[in-house]
Amino acid sequence: MVSPAIALAFIPLLLTVIIRCRFYFVLFYRAVMVRIWRDCVTGLSREERAYQYVLTHATPGDPDSILEAFDVWCSKVEFISNIGPKKGKVLDRMLMEQSPLTVLELGSHCGYSTVRIARSLPLGARLYSVEMDQRNAAIAEKIIRLAGFDDDTVELIVNPSDEVIPRLRSEYGLERLDFVFMDHWKKCYLPDLQMLEGSGLLGKGSMIVADNVLFPGAPKFLRYIRKSGLYEWKVHRATLEYSKGIRDGMAELVYQGIK
Amino acid sequence: MTRDSLITSENDVDIGLEFEGLDDEVDTFQEEHERERHRGKRRDGERTKKKKRGNGERRKRASRGGQEEEKLQARHEKKGRRKRSRSDQQAKGREGDEAEQPKIKSSKAAKTRKNVKNEKTRKVEKEEKDEKEDEAEDEERNVKRKKKHGSAKKEENVEDGNKHTVKKKKRKKVIETSSEKETSEEEDNEEEDSEEKEVRPETLTPEELETLKEAVDERKKLIQGLRGKPWAMKKKLVTLRESQEFVEKYEGALGKGKGRKLYAYKVMMTKKWMKFKRDFENFKTACIPWEMKIKEIESHFGSSVASYFIFLRWMYGINMILFCLTFGLVMVPEALMGRPYGTIPRKTVPRAEAPSAMDFAVLWDFGGYAQYSVLFYGYYNNQRAIGWLKFRMPLSYFLVGVGTVAYSYMVVIRTMARNANESGVGDDNSFNFSWKMFTSWDYLIGNPETADNKFASITTSFKEAILEEQESRKDDNIHLTRFLRVLANFLVLCCLAGSGYLIYFVVRRSQKFALDGLENHTWWERNEVNMVMSLLGMFCPMLFDVISALENYHPRVALQWQLGRIFALFLGNLYTFIIALMDEINLKREEEKIVKFNITTWEASLYNITASENSTAPPVTIQPADVPRGPCWETMVGQEFVRLIISDTMTTYITLLIGDFLRAVLVRFLNYCWCWDLEAGFPSYSEFDVSGNVLGLIFNQGMIWMGAFYAPCLPALNLLRLHVSMYLQCWAVMCCNVPQERVFKASGSNNFYMAMLLVILFLSTLPAIYTIVTIPPSFDCGPFSGKKRMFDVIQETLESDFPAWFSKVFSYASNPGLVLPFILLMALAIYYLQSTSKSYKEANVELKKKLQTQNEENKKKNKLAALKAQMDLEEARKAASPSAEHQKNNNASTDQEADEEEDRGRSPRMYNSKNGRSPPPPRHDGHLTATRAPAPRNYQHGSQVSAGYLPGFTLENEARMHRVPSLQRHGGSEKTKQHVTQD
Repeated sequence: MVSPAIALAFIPLLLTVIIRCRFYFVLFYRAVMVRIWRDCVTGLSREERAYQYVLTHATPGDPDSILEAFDVWCSKVEFISNIGPKKGKVLDRMLMEQSPLTVLELGSHCGYSTVRIARSLPLGARLYSVEMDQRNAAIAEKIIRLAGFDDDTVELIVNPSDEVIPRLRSEYGLERLDFVFMDHWKKCYLPDLQMLEGSGLLGKGSMIVADNVLFPGAPKFLRYIRKSGLYEWKVHRATLEYSKGIRDGMAELVYQGIK
Repeated sequence: MTRDSLITSENDVDIGLEFEGLDDEVDTFQEEHERERHRGKRRDGERTKKKKRGNGERRKRASRGGQEEEKLQARHEKKGRRKRSRSDQQAKGREGDEAEQPKIKSSKAAKTRKNVKNEKTRKVEKEEKDEKEDEAEDEERNVKRKKKHGSAKKEENVEDGNKHTVKKKKRKKVIETSSEKETSEEEDNEEEDSEEKEVRPETLTPEELETLKEAVDERKKLIQGLRGKPWAMKKKLVTLRESQEFVEKYEGALGKGKGRKLYAYKVMMTKKWMKFKRDFENFKTACIPWEMKIKEIESHFGSSVASYFIFLRWMYGINMILFCLTFGLVMVPEALMGRPYGTIPRKTVPRAEAPSAMDFAVLWDFGGYAQYSVLFYGYYNNQRAIGWLKFRMPLSYFLVGVGTVAYSYMVVIRTMARNANESGVGDDNSFNFSWKMFTSWDYLIGNPETADNKFASITTSFKEAILEEQESRKDDNIHLTRFLRVLANFLVLCCLAGSGYLIYFVVRRSQKFALDGLENHTWWERNEVNMVMSLLGMFCPMLFDVISALENYHPRVALQWQLGRIFALFLGNLYTFIIALMDEINLKREEEKIVKFNITTWEASLYNITASENSTAPPVTIQPADVPRGPCWETMVGQEFVRLIISDTMTTYITLLIGDFLRAVLVRFLNYCWCWDLEAGFPSYSEFDVSGNVLGLIFNQGMIWMGAFYAPCLPALNLLRLHVSMYLQCWAVMCCNVPQERVFKASGSNNFYMAMLLVILFLSTLPAIYTIVTIPPSFDCGPFSGKKRMFDVIQETLESDFPAWFSKVFSYASNPGLVLPFILLMALAIYYLQSTSKSYKEANVELKKKLQTQNEENKKKNKLAALKAQMDLEEARKAASPSAEHQKNNNASTDQEADEEEDRGRSPRMYNSKNGRSPPPPRHDGHLTATRAPAPRNYQHGSQVSAGYLPGFTLENEARMHRVPSLQRHGGSEKTKQHVTQD
């Protein structure tokens, strides 16, 4: 039998762990517990609840107000892993600098990042947004239309990314991608990137931005870009969206091509 | 021959160039010959002047050359052709007239005389080369004389007109062009190199040999002093390589003839000796234990982590000495010469314990046979002298106990003083940014990742410093910060109190267990005290670390707070432990009284039995194991400390294995199948905790000092522990830790650790001394048994081993009337030394201030001087511009730009482009102006101009070769003019 005194000596360790990981506990509570509970209570999916909130709180046709409504809902009510306002600003800046004409977004989820990208695109640019999940895609579609972007600007493709990428050239007539934003499954970052390289859609100067490379994290992806030498890359360090203490990063890659 | 004149000569060069450009236009197909001739002539003219007509023959030759039609173009420049002509000359120079050979030599000798005096050797040698070229060109000229035509006359006129203005300008230029001295010198250097290669050692006279030797010596000097030269690294490398080549080549050749072999031998031996010395150094480094390991760690983790290992090694050294003392003077003599095991009760396991005395569990707790061995105090006999050596065992035991402590004090204080000397110079507060800027790089880092980290930490430190500066001005919400700090301290105090109480509680419980009999309790309960102490010592610092995040201190301050808190925690734990031990000692002593009483009755009864049975019967021999004995508190204390050390060591190693190794393994291999990035995200790899480890080491040492008197085996155990942890931690650091993100300077904290060590030393000797002085030793165990106090052994020795007078002297000396004044004297001496050191410090500060102000003054002066020079320059330009104005009409700009460029000696070459396709400089019909209006020394201008010309010729060094002292050169040109007129 272990004596109680020895057990008491573990209290500092326990306290330390609790304090150290408090953000993770909070995240767990908000992203998992609250979600399950709300799912049971309302019978709607998380994205639908978000859509309802946005519909009631935002001005139609105004992307800024929609984004703001999203931010409020995600930070106050429930948690959805969007890109968030802070990293979104970084993204906005990169888009401003790059002013791309052809943009591919992998993983539009419920349309937050799509709206965010679309509003800072130059005139005549076109955004292809790929979403795998049917229900999410429906909501994303609604949100995009609510923000006032039509089919010419944003095209939503409902398919898994690994099926879409090889067909981009043939079916969508794309020649070159200026900007790629990845925010879908972290496991797919690397295969999708390699697929993009293989498809020849990336030209010199094409920018690829991958969110959440540190948390939840895409270590293989990072390792690959570190080794490949095809890119000029850096990681913008920030915190996880709607959370203060969890460190996260956004990788910015500029395709250099084979020298 | 001033250096300045060297550079100003560029002016002339430029002029020449412009004219050459003209030439190009006029007759492109003959330009090459022309130029060659021009060069030769001009060179001749200059030289004749320079040598102050030293060798008339040459001058004559020059004038002979000058007698040709275009001798008046002496000032024309021919830079671009330099190289080729040199190669020509190499080919032709040797086969030239026999008469020329001695000439060269004599001139060389003349020059070398100068060499000795100043460092302008190179220039002189350059001239020498020019000379050779001349000879070659002379020949050429003879051949090509027919091809020349008379365009030179016109140019001469122009030149005459310009010369005056040019000269005027030259004087002014002197001021500005000091920066180029070095470069020009350098170029000359290279030049000399190539030139020197032509010299064949076989043909040299002794004088030349002497010269060569000097040159070689000079090269050697250059190589040695190269590191301190303010040149660009590239240039340094080039110079070094060339100089080395030069030395290599001519060193052997120097010792021609009979002395050659000896010389070669000497050189070889020096080289061998150097190599041996280097190898010996390497060997010496290899002899320092763990040096390579530590260096490797240093290169990977920076000096702060390495400082821990250096500290560990230092500790190892100290423990080695302590071990030698205790082992050599106490344990070994007792084991060899003392009575063997089983002869007397204190050296025998009691009958009751005998069956389990060899069990591993008992031995692990240092009971049984381990307890009744040389490892512990109780085993030693109080016999005054043992063995045939008459070794004074009790005295030795006492002196070694005192000696270890004294030695430790000495070493620690000495090291502290040395460290203070090293680090006492710089203060952290002034020139904060400069310090960061220039001294923050750790040059021992050899690992890219660490270098990245170091880079990041430097940048963050800059950011922090800037933020600090800003924050020091605006102080927002100080109340919140204060409140948080108070709160954090409150929490820490709560934590400390809690841990103290827990330890106290555990110790009390263990006493209860001890009263009950330890056998009735589990292993956990028996080892509760040690376990709880180790666990608290491990986990509480983590909690402190988390709490300290509240305080928002600067990392350095936070680290000190953290260290202080951990220190308090460890100290509290240690002292709680000691207090509990004291309680136990008192208990044992009460027990001892009872045992003592029992023993007397037991002996009496024994005596009665023997007496009653038969007085003649032999006395009953009693097995020593059967004799009842006292509890022997000293051994108990020793055992406690040994157990503490063992459990502490175990916890350290287990933490290392679980916290570092297992974590690293999990992070590494689970990362493939985990939903977030383990390496960059939450668990990550652990960092090496320098402060925690150092503190652990220090407290461990404190325990050794405390317990070593009662358990002579402690230093040996500690030695083993340090040895193992050296290897284990080295391995763990290299295999499962990542470099710290927050790297703090190692040197600054070194003395801090030392100070802590000193405090711990003091605090740990305190209880030991207390027990030695106040508590009487046990009556039946240990070397001091039977005495009233342990230190009585000294008195005893004095009385019996020393002559009577000595003890008398000693008793006088220990008289309070003598001791008190002595102590007073010491206090006074300390006070005096302290005050002097303070005054020295003040003087240091004063001197520093003085230096600073002097620096500032110098700066001001320099600024003023620069300003003045600029003003002068402006004036001069103003003065020069009117004269320029009337001469040049339309295209002032090109000339201006050309003027700018001449300082850099770069774009003039562009003008000189070999293929005449380059856009020619503007042509003037009447006067061709070489005078330039002053223009801002703007680099851009120059490059614009040069962009207009085809940059076919970019031989930088060639351009600089022509910097010949101007004064003489002027004279030379005038001279040539005179010749012309004569002709």
